[in-house]
Amino acid sequence: MCPLMSSLEIFVLWRKRRFLTTLTLSALILAILFFTHLSLGYSVMNPLNVLLSGITQLITGSLGIEGYRVLRALTAVVVGATLALSGYLMQLSTKNPLADPYILGVSSGALFAVSLTLSISGYVLHPLMIGVRTITAFLGGLIAYLATLFIASKAGMSPTSLVLAGVAVGTFFYSASLLPQYFISRDIHKLIAWSMGSFVSPSADALILMISALLLTMSYAFYVRHPLNNLQVSDDFVKQLGWDPARLRRYSTLLASLITSFTVAWFGVIGFVGLAAPHISRRVLKSSELVFVLPTSIILGSALLTASDLLSKVLVAGVEIPVNVIASMIGAPVLALAIVELRRYGY
Amino acid sequence: MVIEAVKLSVSYDNTQVIKEVSFTLAEGVVAVVGPNGAGKTTLLKAISGLVSYAGSLKIMNKDLRDFSAEERARLITYVPPLVDVMPDMSVGDLILSDPLVSKELLEEYIELFELSSLLKRRLSKVSSGELSRALLAKGLSKNSKIVALDEPLSHIDLRFQLILLKHLRVLSKGGKLILVASNQLNPLLSYVDRVVALKKGEVVFTGDVASFLRSSTPERIYGVKFEVVFKDGYVDIIPRELA
Repeated sequence: MCPLMSSLEIFVLWRKRRFLTTLTLSALILAILFFTHLSLGYSVMNPLNVLLSGITQLITGSLGIEGYRVLRALTAVVVGATLALSGYLMQLSTKNPLADPYILGVSSGALFAVSLTLSISGYVLHPLMIGVRTITAFLGGLIAYLATLFIASKAGMSPTSLVLAGVAVGTFFYSASLLPQYFISRDIHKLIAWSMGSFVSPSADALILMISALLLTMSYAFYVRHPLNNLQVSDDFVKQLGWDPARLRRYSTLLASLITSFTVAWFGVIGFVGLAAPHISRRVLKSSELVFVLPTSIILGSALLTASDLLSKVLVAGVEIPVNVIASMIGAPVLALAIVELRRYGY
Repeated sequence: MVIEAVKLSVSYDNTQVIKEVSFTLAEGVVAVVGPNGAGKTTLLKAISGLVSYAGSLKIMNKDLRDFSAEERARLITYVPPLVDVMPDMSVGDLILSDPLVSKELLEEYIELFELSSLLKRRLSKVSSGELSRALLAKGLSKNSKIVALDEPLSHIDLRFQLILLKHLRVLSKGGKLILVASNQLNPLLSYVDRVVALKKGEVVFTGDVASFLRSSTPERIYGVKFEVVFKDGYVDIIPRELA
């Protein structure tokens, strides 16, 4: 190290280098997974050809197998990024490293609301329904989140009480969401496949809307990065930056629920990505600074879900395993690890 | 006057924690003393604009409510005793998390509080004294005119207590008002200019250290009989027995 540098400068440089290395490696892993995803399926294809023809097909609007593969892989990337961002915002606003839209019951609330709407309307895959699905998913997710926060606040709001409250609320809504399925006769298989998380039916409209929501939420998070960083420490610090911590929590919560609901409305429930991606990012970066953790989480979330979807389509030949099954099997051990670590730090 | 409070009251859930207190404070180091629950933290937070209050509170002859959030943030800094944090935050992350701090000052305080070797360490793995030093470095690096330190002596060792208190005197000579809420009358009172004593939400004394110690106030607020020794400009306060 240069002897003329102060310890602070050395630290700042170390932190930045660690971030750039982690980001580059994560991006590389994501790229490899993405191209593998394009290449594998019913037939093995050259991923570059798939990408080029796929993009052409997407632009011209006449979708073939290449266009479908590109759309599906991009969807996995964007949904992964969205869930990671949502989980990260929930962790910041609850000051709880175990928060995740699935663990806190938000996804199940959204799932229930959509299932209910579908069972009342009787239509499952009517294109007009997607707007209604999105709005009901948002309302359902938000109600579930508020219920979880309410129960957790009555139980002292510790990290574990929040998770347990989320389990209670999530289980209730998940079970309730199964009920309407028995009253729907049309498209029942599609409905069940959707509820367990699936990218089998990707849509360009959904992708564009999700990318917009993702960019909007990311911009918001970067804009409030200083108060969000301080929200991890103390509300008094947030106030001393001239921000209202309650309002900051409210907006972060709303945005996190909104973007999660988009993914649930189209692609069903996918758990643990929102927990695992920020957790691994913070651990590898050895930092909690938002400017570093947020981009790393988003890329890792994308990589996690791309890997999950890849496995879901190639693990058993000719069978699509629900993506939530794979994502949860990867993510749940991270939750277990996080709980053990928290305990060691005396939470 | 830097701070002028008139009939200042603070209530939490209909309970008055600070009861219509009036006082004025000029530049210098001020000890805010009083038994547990007397309202020291709340008074500091009210002055720092962190809790809503009734009555009038003027900072540099301007009503505290008339400052913008940013002006207030630059003018006054409140430093909490300890904080609960998310597990992966490092000492360096913590002290760099305030955009208003000056990097040069931060480097000085890293030196003063001997934090160099701790910057990469996670906050979950540092001692309460080390966390307290990091919080002091973060708060003091903002270079605010008014600094409110809440129990800064409770976790740091004797050496850092002395480093801090001597430094606060230097800062006050530079025109700052520094409030130190603490019950560690030793060594605090040897290094302050004035004392504000609180009991049950009321200011029962404001004045210099010698008059505070010669009055009946210490015995009255703490319920303890003290022996006080003045020597070479320092004071030694020895609690002898329960009053």
